[in-house]
Amino acid sequence: MTTTELPPTETVAREASSPPRERKFRLPFSPWHLVLIPMTFVLILPLLWMLVTSLETESETNRFPPVLLPERPRFENYTEAWAAAPFGHFFLNSAMVTVVVLISNLVVCSLAGYAFARIRFLGRGALFVTLMATLMVPFQVTMIPVFLIVKWFGDNVWEGLGIDHIGALMLPNLATAFGIFFLRQFFQTVPVELEEAARVDGTSRLGVLFKIVLPLSLPAMSTLAALTVLTSWNDFLWPLIVITSQDQMTIPLGLSYFQGAHRVKWPLLMAANVMSLLPMLLVFIGAQRYFVQSVASTGIKG
Amino acid sequence: MTRSRLCIALVAILAFVLTACGGGGSSPSGPTEIAVWHGYQDTEGEVFKGLVAQYNKDHPDVKVSELYSSNDLVLQKVLTAVRGGSAPDVAYMFGSWSPNIAQIPQVVDMADEVKNPDWKWDDFYPAEREAATVGDKIVGVPALVDNLAIVYNEKLFADAGVAPPTKDWTWDDFRAAAAKLADPTKGQYGWLIPADGSEDTVWHYLPMLWEAGGDILNSDDTKAAFNSPEGVKAVTVLQQMAVNDKSVYLDTTNENGPKLMNSGKVAMLITGPWDLSQLSDISYGVQVMPTFAGSNGGHQTIAGPDNWVVFDNGDAKKKAAVDFVKWLSAPEQVKAFSLGTGDLPIRTSVGQDQSVLTKLNENVPGTSTFVENLSNVKKVRPTVQQYPDVSEALGQAIVSVMLGKEQPEAALNSAATAADTALAEK
Amino acid sequence: MPSLLGRLSRTDTAAGWALASPAAVLIGIFGLLPVLMSLQLSFQQSDLLRPQTPWVGLANYRKLAEDPVFVEAIKHTIVYTALFVPGTMLVGLFVAAAMNRSVRFISVYRTAAYITMAVSTISQGIIFLWLTDRDYGLVNAGLNAVGISSQPFLASPSQALYVIVAMTIWGWTGFSVIVYLAALQGVPAELHEAAMIDGASAFTRFRTITVPLLGPANLFLLVWLTINALQLFDEVYATTRGGPLRATTVIVYYLWDRAFVHFDAGYAAAMAYALFVVILIITAVQFRLARKHVQN
Repeated sequence: MTTTELPPTETVAREASSPPRERKFRLPFSPWHLVLIPMTFVLILPLLWMLVTSLETESETNRFPPVLLPERPRFENYTEAWAAAPFGHFFLNSAMVTVVVLISNLVVCSLAGYAFARIRFLGRGALFVTLMATLMVPFQVTMIPVFLIVKWFGDNVWEGLGIDHIGALMLPNLATAFGIFFLRQFFQTVPVELEEAARVDGTSRLGVLFKIVLPLSLPAMSTLAALTVLTSWNDFLWPLIVITSQDQMTIPLGLSYFQGAHRVKWPLLMAANVMSLLPMLLVFIGAQRYFVQSVASTGIKG
Repeated sequence: MTRSRLCIALVAILAFVLTACGGGGSSPSGPTEIAVWHGYQDTEGEVFKGLVAQYNKDHPDVKVSELYSSNDLVLQKVLTAVRGGSAPDVAYMFGSWSPNIAQIPQVVDMADEVKNPDWKWDDFYPAEREAATVGDKIVGVPALVDNLAIVYNEKLFADAGVAPPTKDWTWDDFRAAAAKLADPTKGQYGWLIPADGSEDTVWHYLPMLWEAGGDILNSDDTKAAFNSPEGVKAVTVLQQMAVNDKSVYLDTTNENGPKLMNSGKVAMLITGPWDLSQLSDISYGVQVMPTFAGSNGGHQTIAGPDNWVVFDNGDAKKKAAVDFVKWLSAPEQVKAFSLGTGDLPIRTSVGQDQSVLTKLNENVPGTSTFVENLSNVKKVRPTVQQYPDVSEALGQAIVSVMLGKEQPEAALNSAATAADTALAEK
Repeated sequence: MPSLLGRLSRTDTAAGWALASPAAVLIGIFGLLPVLMSLQLSFQQSDLLRPQTPWVGLANYRKLAEDPVFVEAIKHTIVYTALFVPGTMLVGLFVAAAMNRSVRFISVYRTAAYITMAVSTISQGIIFLWLTDRDYGLVNAGLNAVGISSQPFLASPSQALYVIVAMTIWGWTGFSVIVYLAALQGVPAELHEAAMIDGASAFTRFRTITVPLLGPANLFLLVWLTINALQLFDEVYATTRGGPLRATTVIVYYLWDRAFVHFDAGYAAAMAYALFVVILIITAVQFRLARKHVQN
């Protein structure tokens, strides 16, 4: 299987000029948009609701059925939300945790993922199953043992890794079986002949990984990156349990400031939520080109 | 690409190292630091922070730090922290958890402490003291009290030509009014009840049970008593309104009550003072709950007191924590907190102070009715460990009846069997 | 030259372990060790309140076998999983395939799919609770307009679970789309062109060329979605809290309830382990089937 690819637009263009006996009604844009736009709308409904709510007054949010159009968009909600808690600091904490977790996962999971995908080694199956098994017990059950283990690290290795420090937020998440499984599957789709050819030339396993497999796996790596960022940024339960000092808090904990026992301050909560989504959104948009397989001509036909 | 990634990694690690190293540890000598976990935000949060600041100023040998932690989730947090050896010094905990919290060895038993007359322990409302007492232990100091009363939409009543609730209302009056005010085809309801089967549902039902003359458990808390004829009578009223009249909105989200009220879709709500400030778009009135004709249960209502629980983290911290809680619950601070936040005062001396009542009504009309209603709190939920199981059985039964799936007697009987089994276990 | 077909060579084993060891160590400490510690908890009686946790052997497991609510939870979990997994995969594949064609705006669509995953389950829950409200929800407004009477949806013991299925498919579509999009990038255009020249329709080409090449992605989604479906919790917590009348009580919700509302953590751990065994078996079967499928 090759990975060379013609620009897909040409494929679509060829679609439109298919067999002459089918005289299709040609729209100025791809007919798929007619399906995609409503579907996308349905998908982003929660987001639209968040946006609308973030611009309402509190009294407007105290209605059911909800008010869909605020009388006047209340942009002050954003400045008020920002001022309600040290969100700047929370952003910094979240960013540090996410960056470290991201890099660690990308590195560690690609090494392991490649090993599981392409190297036949003794104990591979057993190790893979064991790692996968860690995905099969819910966090509600393992959270106390994880807490105890992290506390041990804090007491015996370095304080910065222990309870009530952001190091504790990074430690349990530096590698996940999810990432390994994901990359294993995608690395398997890279043509094995390319790797074999390189190995014949004397390239080491690591070299093959870095020079052949990774460049051809950009969509997979960037997808894993996007998903890892998402999970890390939005993690709530673990930080809730581990962090007790305000200066170590992350954004989701900051958001819980707006959720009282009897009452949720919806406008501010949603404004804060929207603000917390923005960095992820911007990074994702900026990284769009990595999601597309680069046209790498390798000279081998599938 | 790899190189720039490594660079980012190094910068991140460096940044994190620098910040983490800056993070404080406490100095061995210097003020005793105690950590207080609470769920106050907004006005309550501001007032509380003010009180903490004042205490810190007046007591330079102690440094109280407060941490906001949502009340619903604080139990998980506390349990994990206790397990892991990093418990707070004081935590705000729901009163319904008392019988279970009592088992945590680190929780300080305040029984001997509060015997000291300057606590004025008897000045706290009886329900609060009972909610903090588990057997011989006193697990906490009252932090909050509230109760349930009828909050009604004056305009909806006027428009429908129905006389608003009075002190003499019985449940028959309530039911009739709700039916007249309801029009399900237009999405209008006379009443709303939380209906997810959780403790929220049970808590709203219990005053009805008590008003009918019934009890949750028998006198030594070994068997269920809620399936008595009185209990059946109380549940039957719910059945009539939910299934026959269709005048009550069954809220499975447990939070739409004030919203629907505020939108004018529901005429009456049986709720507590915390919802009043959300009803900004309607003019409402507050009235005590109805009685059951032929019962001497009166206008009984239920209180949901919460406690400040103190954890033993060593003698110095324990003493500092106890002192702080004592100061916090002293009449002067109770008055300041209540006036500042609109929460009901937790001491009778403050609750009977006319000037306080007037001021409270100025800020949030109707609050004084709730304060006076505290005298209608005669019974509390049993402080047994198995209460969650009892509550669950009862809650499911109530919802089952309201959904029309079971008859009151059958539902209550099977719930009683489940409760008895749970009570027999431990 | 190390043959990729021959017996396991020592250098291969060394290389494999070398590459896999950072992950093995990290996951071993923070993933496996807690799992083993929880296994220990399942043999104890623990309420998370007292430090004493007496050993009770298999008592928790025996209690599990006699627990009618647990049996109900199993049923609900199975029904849920059986509907959710294929549903999400199909919807995701369809949407991803559609997005893959409209290249001009694919970045916009892809971003939209991604950002839907960023919305918390709490917000999703609120929206769905409102949309499906019997009196004030949009869905019922639509049904009424075509003459169907209002449905209670999440307030109905018979409908609630299915509404949760719909809600979670909706919530997970973004994930499914993102994964499929990444996979579709690896399907070479030449194969499509060759088939087009032969006169194959778009659908046939999709079926015979694209779908088989999505094998690894399919397996990934199948396994990962199943593992997640069997551990459903957040969406139930955000909407029905296991109700009405336990209609949406799934296994993990029930065990959380046991541990943190009823203070019976040992029992919860036993439940988690029973579930773990089931997930392990199902996952193993899925891998086995996949291997057979590929060999064909």
